[in-house]
Amino acid sequence: MRDQLDLVPDAILAGRAADGDTAAFEALARRYGPHMRACARRLTGQYADADDVVQEALVQAWKQLESLREPAAVKGWLLRLTGSRSIDYLRRRRNHTSLSALEEGGAGREPAAAAPGPESSAVAASGTEALKAALSRLPEEQRRCWVLKEFNGQSYEQIAQTLNISPASVRGRLARARITLVREMEGWR
Amino acid sequence: MSIPHDTFECGHTLEELSQYLDTGDFPDLRHLETCPDCRNGLDSLRRLSTAGSELFSKDLAEAGSGNDDWMKDILANLKLELRPGRSIPLRSEHPADTLTETEGSVLALVRSVTDLAPGAVAGRVRLEGDVTVPGEAITVNLDLAVAFGNPLLGSAEALRQDLGEALARHTELNIAAIDITITDVIDTPREEP
Repeated sequence: MRDQLDLVPDAILAGRAADGDTAAFEALARRYGPHMRACARRLTGQYADADDVVQEALVQAWKQLESLREPAAVKGWLLRLTGSRSIDYLRRRRNHTSLSALEEGGAGREPAAAAPGPESSAVAASGTEALKAALSRLPEEQRRCWVLKEFNGQSYEQIAQTLNISPASVRGRLARARITLVREMEGWR
Repeated sequence: MSIPHDTFECGHTLEELSQYLDTGDFPDLRHLETCPDCRNGLDSLRRLSTAGSELFSKDLAEAGSGNDDWMKDILANLKLELRPGRSIPLRSEHPADTLTETEGSVLALVRSVTDLAPGAVAGRVRLEGDVTVPGEAITVNLDLAVAFGNPLLGSAEALRQDLGEALARHTELNIAAIDITITDVIDTPREEP
């Protein structure tokens, strides 16, 4: 069944990949790449950055696969790596942006997803459009918590590790994010 | 509806409700059934959660498939390093020659023989024992996924024999045992003949 790696359970693929089977690793990458890309894109704001993040996360995954204790949990692990690499990417970009903003004497690149325009119109077409617009206006720290929770299904403890804050802070930021989002969304109803 | 304050008249907060949705923890579960403010708050948070799931589904669809060009580009850029594992010594005709094979190549051999068995896919493979010492007794531990309804579920004897022969032909390892553990059953449409 060598040709059917795409049908094989995660744990088997992760075990093979840990043994050095690149085909098994690529099958895992194809399986969860779209989820990783969607998460990284919502965190970084664009696909070009998201693809860099996914690539970094996969490089790290290949190096650290042998340390993964529970091969069946490889999906959550890949998503956590994606979240961490996204946050790193944003930190690097912010440093870079503030430097170039200083050099150019102007405003740097817009922060992730904070795109004003049609999306922030009060006549948003649908719930998801309204949510996207509301998300883009959230403080960065709150949006990160929300995406890691709702897109990646990470626990408070896992989000806390990713963001290097306490689980209590995660609970607070997530709640504030949701309160703001509920207010904005319900305003459109 | 609107939510004027983070703290309701009943004294509970949206933060508590938000945590309740994630963890099921709440100081007074019975209160949640009767308090109109808390119920409204929960309804709003659940609608938000639904909208969040819809946005994720949409984003996931937009992200494309793992077979698209963006993933091909990423995979092409990965340049995955090989994992040779331990060095296994081989006999040589001339004492001055040092011949070895890598543990990784033996694992790959076990995988490829296993994958040829109908309805079987190898998982993790371990060589137990010191493979760097010639003649040491080595036990092969193989995790196996088997397609649902496959005879291998009953007995892995034929596979064990195939593996023994292949290892004897291609390696000089002293294989003491081949332990096969079926760790997963693949529930898929029957393989094409």
